[in-house]
Amino acid sequence: MDNGIRIQGLTKSFPSPRKHEAAHRVLNGLDLTIEDNEFVCVLGPSGCGKSTLLNTLSGLDRDYDGEIRFGGRPMTRAGKPPVRMGYLFQDPRLLPWLSAERNVDFALENSDVPRHRWADIKDHYFQLTGLQAFRRHHPHELSGGMAQRLSLVRALAIEPDVLFMDEPFSGLDELTARRLRVDLLDIWRRTGKTIVFITHNSYEATFLADRVVVLSQGRIRREIPVTVPRPRDYDDPALFAVSKEVSATFIAAAEEAERARSRP
Amino acid sequence: MLIKVGSMIAALLAWLGLSFLFPETVLPGPWQTIRVLAENFANGDILSHLTATLGRVLGGLVLAMAVGIPVGVLMGVNRLAEKTLDVWVMVALTVPSLCYAIFAFIWIGLNETAAIVAIGLTSAPSIAINLWEGVKNIDTRLFQMARVFNASRWVIIRRVLFPQVLPYIMASLRFGLGIVWKITVLVELLGRPDGVGFELFYWYQLGNMQQVLAWTLLFTLVMLFIELVILQNLERRMFSWRPEVRI
Repeated sequence: MDNGIRIQGLTKSFPSPRKHEAAHRVLNGLDLTIEDNEFVCVLGPSGCGKSTLLNTLSGLDRDYDGEIRFGGRPMTRAGKPPVRMGYLFQDPRLLPWLSAERNVDFALENSDVPRHRWADIKDHYFQLTGLQAFRRHHPHELSGGMAQRLSLVRALAIEPDVLFMDEPFSGLDELTARRLRVDLLDIWRRTGKTIVFITHNSYEATFLADRVVVLSQGRIRREIPVTVPRPRDYDDPALFAVSKEVSATFIAAAEEAERARSRP
Repeated sequence: MLIKVGSMIAALLAWLGLSFLFPETVLPGPWQTIRVLAENFANGDILSHLTATLGRVLGGLVLAMAVGIPVGVLMGVNRLAEKTLDVWVMVALTVPSLCYAIFAFIWIGLNETAAIVAIGLTSAPSIAINLWEGVKNIDTRLFQMARVFNASRWVIIRRVLFPQVLPYIMASLRFGLGIVWKITVLVELLGRPDGVGFELFYWYQLGNMQQVLAWTLLFTLVMLFIELVILQNLERRMFSWRPEVRI
């Protein structure tokens, strides 16, 4: 099944808090095509529409203009999205009164993964993320990195076709974040998913992505393909070169946004 | 624990000391009080008074929670409800409990229903306020998480909202109990022919301070037992997932 994403003319405005003022347009006729099994990182200055983009793609926000299709099937105004989605937030967002395993069950119970497969799936991902020994622990007993890995298990357990990630490693220390990035690429290589990953870290984006998309003022400013072959080495100078280009585009976008904001 | 026991012994000693300074009709000592209490037990009708009072406490508490919890939760989740109701909750909180008791006995009659209505309505506003504040503190990011994982509205209410409200319900149960038992005694004094409040008032009119103290001691011990032993343990067990529950 094709799980590519096709976004056409996506426009989203928020009403201004002050009366008699024009609505604030966050997404401005955005067009983007993401291939099946592609890993795309979206980068941009704050306020560029990154989070809004993810909210509309994931179906959290269905009030927008334009069209979103998953493998040809359109996102509708209500009801279940046309593909199975996994979502990783910036914070783990675990239910604190449930054990690690029950947190994963919560996602499974609301998915259409048949119950007889739950045990195998959970074993698999708990093993893969090194959390096997912590299944009965409660979230407050886990470190920040472990909690985020648990939320990764939760997102993967429902066997999503598409994985949305909203700066999932930005709250972690660099060492943990690095390890999780490598784990993520490993899981992606083995399971094959379409991933949309939001970040403000240009090196992270370059290391992970097939293609980096830089947003600015609700539009795509530039798309930068990362052709460095996989598996990638974190200290590869070739990655560094691409990352410099991503950085430069990102900074230019941020400056442009700044200028637009200061204009009366 | 040691500190608690120590302070209780100190209080008992202070009571004993003070009782030597005053005549028995003003402040009887602990031994006399306990002796009177024991005699009351031997006479038998102490249990019927106590159960009558506890029944009213329970009935009033149930009614207070049944009114207070929905109002408080509604005010916490719905802005329109909050704006409409907050002034009325404040009004309801300000009216003296004696007024509720008088209204209930005049409008409903000198009966058990009136007593429970008076107790319940007096404590409902405090419970509503407690829950209103609590519900405002709940983590709304978890609702977004649940929606992303396709949880239905009902699942979100049951599995994400309710567990977050539950600690506040338990807190308001303890808090409500503290208010309810004080009002119950007052209501009994005003319009019931039995119960701890009735007994207290009866002995007060006779100027029998030994009996007044004996009944006060009994009621306080029973309520402390319910509060500290039953409710605290229940709470500890229910919220063992929380990092700190020891107080």
